[in-house]
Amino acid sequence: MSGPNYPTTRRRTRLDAQFDRIRAREEAGLAKSGGGSRAVKKFLNNRLAVFGLVVFAIIIFASVFAPLLTPYDPNKIDLRGMLQAPSWEHWFGTDRTGRDLFARVLYGGRISILVGLGSAVLAAIIGVLIGVYTGYVGGWLDALAMRVSEIFMSFPQIILVLMLVSILGQSLLNLMLIFTLTGWGGIYRMARARMLSLREEEYVLALRSFGLSRPLIAYKHMLPNALGPIMVNITLSTAAFILQEAGLSFLGLGVPLSIPTWGNILNVAQDIRVLQTNWWIWLPVGVVISLFVLSVNFIGDGLRDATDPSQQG
Amino acid sequence: MLTYIIRRVLILIPMAFVICFLVYLGLELTPGDAVSHMINPDAAGSMNPAQLEALRQSLGLGQPFHVRFWSWFTNLLQGNFGYSMSGGVPIANIIATRLPATLELAAVALVFSTVIGSLLGVVSALKRGSKTDSALTVIGMLGVSIPEFFFGLVAISIFALNLGWFPVGGRSMPGYLTLWDRLPHMVMPAMVLSIMLTAGVMRYARSSMLDALSRDFIKTARSKGLPEWRVNLLHGFRVALTPVVVLIGFRLPVLIGGSVIIEQVFQWPGIGNEFISAVRSQDYPVVMTIALLSVMAVLVASLIVDILTAVIDPRVRLGE
Repeated sequence: MSGPNYPTTRRRTRLDAQFDRIRAREEAGLAKSGGGSRAVKKFLNNRLAVFGLVVFAIIIFASVFAPLLTPYDPNKIDLRGMLQAPSWEHWFGTDRTGRDLFARVLYGGRISILVGLGSAVLAAIIGVLIGVYTGYVGGWLDALAMRVSEIFMSFPQIILVLMLVSILGQSLLNLMLIFTLTGWGGIYRMARARMLSLREEEYVLALRSFGLSRPLIAYKHMLPNALGPIMVNITLSTAAFILQEAGLSFLGLGVPLSIPTWGNILNVAQDIRVLQTNWWIWLPVGVVISLFVLSVNFIGDGLRDATDPSQQG
Repeated sequence: MLTYIIRRVLILIPMAFVICFLVYLGLELTPGDAVSHMINPDAAGSMNPAQLEALRQSLGLGQPFHVRFWSWFTNLLQGNFGYSMSGGVPIANIIATRLPATLELAAVALVFSTVIGSLLGVVSALKRGSKTDSALTVIGMLGVSIPEFFFGLVAISIFALNLGWFPVGGRSMPGYLTLWDRLPHMVMPAMVLSIMLTAGVMRYARSSMLDALSRDFIKTARSKGLPEWRVNLLHGFRVALTPVVVLIGFRLPVLIGGSVIIEQVFQWPGIGNEFISAVRSQDYPVVMTIALLSVMAVLVASLIVDILTAVIDPRVRLGE
C-alpha cells in the first residue's frame, strides 16, 4: 500500500489521511500499543457502524425506560382525545381510540425488539448446537441435518411463517417459536461450513490425539473460533425478524392486536382514510422501524468487516 | 453435463416428495376434512350421523393414512389440487385466475431490479471508495431496512392520494382491460416490489465486479493499452454479470415473499392476496396448496440455476 510519500498525482483518499494521522501520532510518541482488541478498534473506526450503535442504543433505552419518558399508558383509551395531531401534550398524536402514540411506539418497541432479538438468539442457539456438532462429526447425522435444513429453507420464509401461523394460531410465543423454527437453517449452515474448514486445523488433530471427547472438541475448542460470523448472523437475522414481525402485524396476522407492537400500530394504515388524513399514526412509527432495522444492519455489517477480513469489499 | 443434470434431478425428487408428505401431514392435522368443506356446519348438524359417515366412506376418508396420502399425491400430479373450504371452488381454478396477475408483477420487478441493480452495482465498484460508492452503499442499506409495506404506504400517500398520478390499488378499472389501461395500476406495486430486490442485486453486482476487476486478465487488458472503458465494460462487466444473472433464481423466494405483502398493500388480485385471505379464514387446503406450489417453484428455480452455473463454469460439474 502507498504511504504519504508515494510520488503520484492521484487524489488522496480517506485511507491516506488516516495513515498520516497515525504516523503523526507515532512520531509524537503518543501511539498506544495494545489496549483493546483489533476487532473492536476496527468496528469503532467504521462510521456507519458507530452511527448504528448509537441509534440502536437510543431506541433500546427509550423502550426500556418508557415509563420515565412518557406519562401515558399505551393501552389507555381516551374517547375525548381521538385522532389528535401531534402537539406538546401528545408528541406523536393519538390514534382512533385516543391512545397516545408516543407511548405506544415506546412500549411497542419492547415487544418488537423482544420478538426480533429473542427469535434470532433462539434460532442461533439451535442452529449452532446442531451445526457445530454435526459439522465436526460428519457422517449420517450431518447428512440428515443438512436435508432437514434444506427442506426448511426451500420454503419462501414468509409463506412458511404464514402457514404455521394459520395452523398454530396467533400469539406472541407462537410467533417467536415460528420465527425460530423458520430461521435456524441459515445460521446452522454457516456454523457447519465454518466447522468443516476448522476440522482440518492441526490443533483439532492434536486435541483428538489427546483423546478429548467429540462434543468437548466441537463446543469448547472449535466453537469460539466461529463466534465472529455467528454474532454477525444474529444481528442480521434480528433485523430480518423485526421486519417480518412488522409485516405480519401490519397484515393483522402477527402478534395479537391487543399487544402494542410496531407492526400493530401500523395495522390501521390499511385503511385509506387513515393513510390520507392521519399521517401521524403511521409515519413516525414507520420511520422508527426503519431506523432501528437500519441501525442493526449497519452494526451487522460493521461486525462482519471487523471480524472477517476476507469479506471486505 | 447430462449426468450432472440427472444427478441434480435425482436429488430433487425425494426432497420434493418429502415436502409433499409434510404438507399433507399438516393438512391432516388441521381441523376439518373434505366433508366439512362440502356441507356447511348448520346442515351437517341436522344430518343423520350415519349419513355423514357413509359420505366419508364414499369419499375414501375412512381409508388408512397412506392410502389417502397416495390418492392425494397422485391427484396433485395430475393438477387436481382439491377444493377450497369457502365456496368449494377447485383450487386449480383459483390459481389459474390469480397467477397471471402475480407473474405480471414479478416479471416487471425482476427485469427492473436486474437492470438497475447491476448498473448501480457496477458503478459503485468502478468508483470504489468514492463518495458515490458510499452513498450507493447507504442507499442500498436503506432499501433492505425499510419495510416494503411502509414503502408502499408512503408511495400511495404521495403519488396516489396527494398527487393523484396513479390509482390507489387494484389491477384495472372495470371495463378497461388492455395493457395500456392497466399500466398506471402496475407502476407503484412493481416499483415497490423492486426496491428490496434492487438493493440485493446491487450489493451482489458490486462485489462480483470488484472480484472480476482484480483478476489477471484485466491487468493484461490494461497493459495491452486498451482504453479504460473497454477494459471495464467488455472485460470486467461481462465476467461480473454472469453470476448476477444466475442470481435471479435465488431471488425467487424474496420475490414471492415480497409479493405476498405488496399485493395486500395495493389490493393486487394475485396469488399472494389469495394466500393472505386463505390464512385469515383458515382455509387450509388453499394455504397448503399455495405453499406447496411456491416451494416447488423455488426448487425448480434452484435446479435451473445449478444447471446454468454448471454450463457457465465447468469446475462445478467436474468437482465434488
